[in-house]
Formats: sequence, C-alpha cells, structure tokens
Amino acid sequence: MDRVKINIDGRDIETVKGKTVIQAAADEGIFIPHYCYHPKLSIAGNCRMCLVEIEKMPKLQIACNTLASDGMVVRTASPKVIEARRAVMEFLLINHPLDCPICDQAGECWLQDYYMKHDLSPSRFVENKERAPKRQIFGPHVVFDAERCIKCTRCVRFLQEVTRTEELTVLERGDRATIALFPGTALDNPLSANVNDICPVGALTDRDFRFRVRVWYLSSTPSVCPGCSTGCNIKIETYQNRIARFKPRVNEEVNSHWICDEGRYCFHALTEVERLTAPLVRQEGGLVPTDWETALKAVLSGLSAAAPLAGLISGRATNEEAYLFSRLLKRLSSDAALQVFYRERELSETAKILMSPDRSPNLRGARDAGCADTDMDSWLERLKRGDFGAVFIVGEDLLSQASDASEIAAALKRLRFLVVQDTTLSASASIAHVVLPAMNFAEKDGTYTNRKGRVQRLRPALVPPAGALPDWEIFARLFALAGAPIPYANPGDVFAALSAEIPAYRGLSYERIGELGVQLEER
Amino acid sequence: METILLRNIGAKDAHTLAVYRSRGGYRAWEKTLRELSPEQVTAEIRDSGLRGRGGAGFPTGMKWGFVPKDSPKPKYLVCNADESEPGTFKDRVLIEKDPHAVVEGTLIAAYAIRCHTAFIYIRGEFAFGSRRLQAAIDEARAAGYLGKNILGSGYDLDVVVHRGAGAYICGEETALISSLEGGKGWPKVKPPFPATHGLFGCPTVVNNVETLAVLPWIIEHGAARYAALGTDKSKGTKLFSVSGHIRRPGVYEVELGYPLKRFLEEDCGGVPNGKRLKGVIPGGASMPVLRADEIDSVRLDYESMQQAGTFLGSGGIIVMDETTCMVKAAWNIARFFAHESCGQCTPCREGCHWIEKIFHRIENGRGAAKDLDLILSVSGNIMGNTICPFGDAAAMPAAAFIKKYRAEFEAHIERRQCTVLPS
Repeated sequence: MDRVKINIDGRDIETVKGKTVIQAAADEGIFIPHYCYHPKLSIAGNCRMCLVEIEKMPKLQIACNTLASDGMVVRTASPKVIEARRAVMEFLLINHPLDCPICDQAGECWLQDYYMKHDLSPSRFVENKERAPKRQIFGPHVVFDAERCIKCTRCVRFLQEVTRTEELTVLERGDRATIALFPGTALDNPLSANVNDICPVGALTDRDFRFRVRVWYLSSTPSVCPGCSTGCNIKIETYQNRIARFKPRVNEEVNSHWICDEGRYCFHALTEVERLTAPLVRQEGGLVPTDWETALKAVLSGLSAAAPLAGLISGRATNEEAYLFSRLLKRLSSDAALQVFYRERELSETAKILMSPDRSPNLRGARDAGCADTDMDSWLERLKRGDFGAVFIVGEDLLSQASDASEIAAALKRLRFLVVQDTTLSASASIAHVVLPAMNFAEKDGTYTNRKGRVQRLRPALVPPAGALPDWEIFARLFALAGAPIPYANPGDVFAALSAEIPAYRGLSYERIGELGVQLEER
Repeated sequence: METILLRNIGAKDAHTLAVYRSRGGYRAWEKTLRELSPEQVTAEIRDSGLRGRGGAGFPTGMKWGFVPKDSPKPKYLVCNADESEPGTFKDRVLIEKDPHAVVEGTLIAAYAIRCHTAFIYIRGEFAFGSRRLQAAIDEARAAGYLGKNILGSGYDLDVVVHRGAGAYICGEETALISSLEGGKGWPKVKPPFPATHGLFGCPTVVNNVETLAVLPWIIEHGAARYAALGTDKSKGTKLFSVSGHIRRPGVYEVELGYPLKRFLEEDCGGVPNGKRLKGVIPGGASMPVLRADEIDSVRLDYESMQQAGTFLGSGGIIVMDETTCMVKAAWNIARFFAHESCGQCTPCREGCHWIEKIFHRIENGRGAAKDLDLILSVSGNIMGNTICPFGDAAAMPAAAFIKKYRAEFEAHIERRQCTVLPS
C-alpha cells in the first residue's frame, strides 16, 4: 500500500493512499466535526460541517471527500475554518426548533454538542421558522420529526446501501426538502432502528425508548447482545436498575456499527418478567418457597436418585456456566445427556445481514464447554420417549417455545425429577419439583462465544433481585454439597479453569478478551 | 461580422434536413468521419480556443481531453439543453430554428470522445424544442448521419432526447447526470469528476447547446479561422440574450471582446422611452449586476467581465432602467434561487431562503438597518461552501445588488417603502 505523508494542524501524519482527510485525521485521534459523513456510508458531502483549509486550494474543502495526498497541509482550526463551521451551525439552526427541553435527543444531539463547541453565538435569524410535519410514524420502531431534520441523508443512505430496502428518500427542494417514506411503504425491515442511532439529531427517534428517560441519567455497560449467536457488541443502557435500551457498540469484526431490531428489543422479554426471589420446592399442593440449602439438597438427592440424568442449558448461559453445568452433571452421572437449547428459524435476506438463525447467543461456547452430547432434536426425542429419569433445565422454557408443547409437557410430567433454574416461574418451572431463582444476561459476568468462534465479554449492568443467585454460584454450591467443592470465587476464576482445560480456549483471559473479544483459532 | 451560430436563423425551414444540407449542413460531420481521428477533432477544437458557452467558460477541447482513452467503460456525450438561467434564451433559438446544427455538433463531440450513445437533456418546458430536435434526429438517422455504421465508416452512434422535469439545478452538469440516471436532480460531490465517473459511472462530457452548435463551423472552416475572432483568451463569437428595458431585445451573435456599452446602445437600440440606464446584469440572473457607470470600459469577453467584478456567464443580458426598484429586483432574483436550491447543502438550502426572507421584509417596509450587512454576511457564508456553484449563483447577485445600490436599499428601509417606483 502506498503511504502518503500529510500535515494536519502542524502534526506530521503518515497515512495510506486512498484515505480521506477525515479518515486520516480520525486515525490519529484528530476529530473533524461532521454530520453527514459516516464511516460505513457513501460520501454525501452535504452538511458542510467538515470544511477544512488545505494549503494551495483557494476554497475550503470538505474533509470527508478530500483524499489525503503527499505533502498536503491541512488546517482544521484556522480562523476561516472556525468561521465556516459557525456559519454552518447558524444555517442548521435557523429553522430548527429551539425546544431542546422537550426533544428526546437532548443530551446526545450533535446540534447541541456542536453549538456549544463551534458556535455559541446568538441567532441573527428574526424571520418565522419554516414549519414541517412532526411525529410522522415511519415504522414500528421509528418516528420522524421533519422540523428537527438536517437532511444529512444518513438514514436514506443506510437504507440504500446497508439494508438495500430503500424505504426512505428525499422529497422536494430547498428548505421544503424533507425525508419521506415512499408512498405505500413502511420503514419496517429487520435493521430499521439503526436509523435512529445514526440520525445525529432528534429527527429520527426510537419509538420504544423516546420520552422514557433523559439520556444523561443512563448508565452504560459494554456487553454482548443475547439475541442470537452473531454476538453483536452492545451497550446496555440502564436507568433505575432497568434496561432502557440497547445501543450498538462498534466492532468491525462482528457487527460493524449496527444491531438488528430483534436483538435491540429482546431485553423486554428477557428482563421484564416477574422475578423469582426464593427457591421453590414441590410439596403437596404445589411449589412453596424455601431456603437455598433445602432446595439445593433436594436437587442433589433428586438428580442422584432418578437416573438416567439429562441436562438442558440455555444458549444464553455463559461459557463459565455451561462449563460448570457440564462438569456437575457428568460428576453426578458420567453418562448424563447434555444439550444446549437450539432452534432455528427462517431469516429474510435483510435479516441475514446480521442475524443468525438461532436465538442462542452462546450456542457454540456451551457446546465447546461440553454441553452438547447429541443434537437438540434427538435429545427432545429421548425426552419424549421417556429415556430420562431426571432432568435439569437451566434458563430456558421448553414449553413456551415448542410446537409440540403438550407432548413435551407430558414428558416432563412423567419425569421422576425435574429441576428448573430460571429467572421467572415459566411454564416449565411451574411443573418442576424444584425451581431455582437465577439471573439474566444483564446481571451476569461471563463470556459468550459467537457462531464464528469469537469469545466476548458479558458484563453485569443490573443489580439482581435479592434471593436470586448467579447461575455459576448455584452450580458451585451444588458441587460443594456433592462433596467436591470448587475453588472459584467469581466467573473469572471459572474462565481460568475453563481455558486451562479446553484446548481451543487455551491462553485466553478476561484481560485478553477485553472490550472487543478474541477470535478462537480455527479447529 | 460573419455570423457563425446564427448563420441559418431566419432562413425558411432551416430546421429541416433539406434546407440545413442545402446550406452546407453535415459537411463537417462527413469530413469528420472520413478524414479526422477523434484526437484530430479534439486538437482542432482545442486550437480553436472554444470555451464552454453554458456559463463557466471552460476550454472545450481540454474538457474532452480529460476523458480516459483506455477506459473499458462506454463514454457518454451529453448535450446540455436545460437552458434555465433567467434572462437566457439563446439555446432555445438554436434548438427551435437550427436543430440540425445542434445535432451535428453533438455527433462531432461524441465522435471526439468515442461515444456511441449521446443524450440531449432538454428542459421540460421546451416541448416544442424537444419535438424539433427529435424530428431532426429522425431525419438525420434516415439520411444515415447517425445509427449503425454511419456513412460506411464503421462508427455507430445514436442520440437520445431526454426531457427534464422542471428544475433549474438540472442545468448543473452533475445534477443533470443524476437526473438523466433517473435519480433526483442533485449535484454530485466532486471528485470524481464526470470526465471519469459521469453518467452511470462512465466517462462523460456535458457540453452546452451553443458550444456544440458551433463545432460544425469550426471543423469545416478550421480552428485558425475561429481563433482569429475574438480576443486573446476569449476566442470566437458568442450568443447574447438581451432583455429588459432595451429597445431591441433578442438574441445577438457578437464577436467576443465587443464593447458592452456600444452593443447596448448601437446594436440593441439603447434604453427606450428616454429613460436612463440604471444597471445591467451581464451573464444571467446569477451574475453580479453592473451599475450604469461601471459599463463604459467593459467588453463582452470572459476576462473583461471578470475585471469588472462580474462574469460573462450564459450571456443573458438583463437591462434595467432608472424606473427599476433594485430592492424588488434583488428580491425577485433571491426568490428564484430560494425556490430552485436543490436542498442538499446546508448553506445553500438554508441561506437562500434566509436571504429571500430578508429581501422580502425590506421590500415590504419591514427592513432594519442591520439587514443589509446581514445579507452580505449570509451570502458570504454561502459562497464557495457548497457542492455545486448554485450557492455562489444565489449569493453573488444578492451581495452585488446591496453593494452597488446600497443607498437605495437604505432609503427603502428607512422610508419603509420604495423610493423609485411611484407609490
């Protein structure tokens, strides 16, 4: 690759031929303000915010469309540039409503941020502002406020270039120009809500999130989407110990800048449930709360007394949990039939851009950890045939997800012992002999391995309810009760043991996995 | 002076192939195919010094030279017949009265860049003109001047007429290309330039009607004869559309370098009704206005106009006498550009309307003293900061009207009404 040397604001920078000034600057940590430029979309060059001065060029140039060339001298903060930016900000704001206090974008609005940084002057505009339609429903997840739009066309380009679904366009000219749906369409594709993320202003907002909480009250935790085994990197944003939204976190090896709508909103179903806060044991007449010691002893004796033993673990269980679960059940019965919950669905071409056919984010990791002796279908066949005497189900409700639920319910009821470990009293849990209150993906520390073999870190974003225990700790207590205590104080210790034992994970640690994960060597 | 562009205008049925041919038409095209290579055509035009007549005045031969010869992609020649600049109506005369000259010029230019499909993008309002062009193309095709294996040369070329849908901006070459591709008429960011990535991503040359219509004459009579006309840097002749307060409005062919004042007073008959000249817009509504006292030494060529602080542009000369309210004139022009801004770039989309609103306020007696400096500031913030030259086209006249007639604007603001027109 050809190297070129350029100078930005007095700093000599070496970059690669073909890079634009804005990219070369960003690589060196020099941020050139912009709206319409997005690293994953084509160059529109329309917002004019990234104008910079380049020696030997008579006019200011847009950094997003100017290729770095050898010897180029760029100024991003000269008086001319500063004035041009101020002018662009003034133009953008003359017709923009100045009602930030009632705008949901406030706090993460590029107009607000850039006004504070690059303008800070009172408006010279005394005319009436142009009015435009507000609250236009574009689709199930997107609402549009034409008055707040700056016509950067990021949304239009995203739908042309990434999803290729082309629901939006620009209608009209001049200050009547507006983003609009093509007649008879809706912005309803599997990645639609990404337009809310890339909209730099309050024009496109998320119907699920808007007006729920001001963004400056949010806490943000880097994690991994539990929606499927693609393993999109996300930020879990919480308010008052509830998830307010998922936001994509950039990882070019996995999801680039995007997440799918199904993943984005999956936290509702996974976390907004009535939580179990105490273990339950079946006594005459039904499930009654008990203490952990009683419950775990019941589990241990139940599982030991009712061979053949089988275990089913959710694809949302972490590597650490799956590792302990498989070791525990194999210890109780060396021929225990283990399985990771797995079910496929059909995906549209647009969905396939990001989504995997399963809903088991850690399918591969749980299998690596020893939780897949057979395939899911034959495991279910054996269950229905009555091959198992005792079954331990972790984190999944078989009955709510099966087309043959009544057959499975009958099979579960025939078991001599059924223990279900979950966050809520699911249909499966309600017919169990013992129910153990556990934690959801957002309360856990641990790792997922995505379908391509990338090990990524899950981090706790929520405080779990009192009475529930982390899944790994439940398994650890069962080990201890079984007379084989394990010396792990936290999921990190478990991962250390896992990585020492499973060859593909050798040498990995939480430190190495870091924010963006580590790719396993191909086996 | 010898007429070149207007040589057939006025001849009966000059729009028909028979009359056009009887007056020497298509001889240049035959000569081109039989005797000249594309490179020789390009060299001839380069030597003639011909500059683009759409407004920018870019040397035509040089523009053709930017088309990469080794590109495996098809090349396109587009005739820009989207004549929309207020005050400009010269291309219309050529299209309607001498369409074969436009077609023949299009063929020659297409040959020079090895194009096999050429387009004529004509503004939608020119319905009659588009029929005339289509009829000319049909006649020429029937006569074997275009189509497959033209005149036995082995060269294939066809010409497609495409009507626009009514946007001034589609006269800007990259917006024209967007529109021709079936998209919204939005200018494209440059680079890449049309010469390498134009229509459908292929090398493309866009030439104005007048630029193309003169090619047959140059090919037939030679570059030297054309270059002998005009000035050192502004060669040949050019059409001027004269309108406004002038005794004989119309389209004139003038040798470049001709004195503006003499042209207006002698050739066009001067300002009628004994009124005095107040101002002249020399190159279409987008070019800075000249005050009556500024035109004495101005000549009708690119360099002289630039020295006077304005541009030759499209050659649309709008004459204003002393009864013209410059506030209203400025507002009129600002309103046009506010309406026609494509809405893509922030400064132009927002700024053109802002300027229009301020002018409107002043015109209607609600102006403030600081408004004039505000318009100058806003137009300055648009200038040079947009994708295409439209922003400049809107900003330049607004600023020029204020700078040149400031006292009138101030009086209009102060008295809250027009000081020129009877109230």
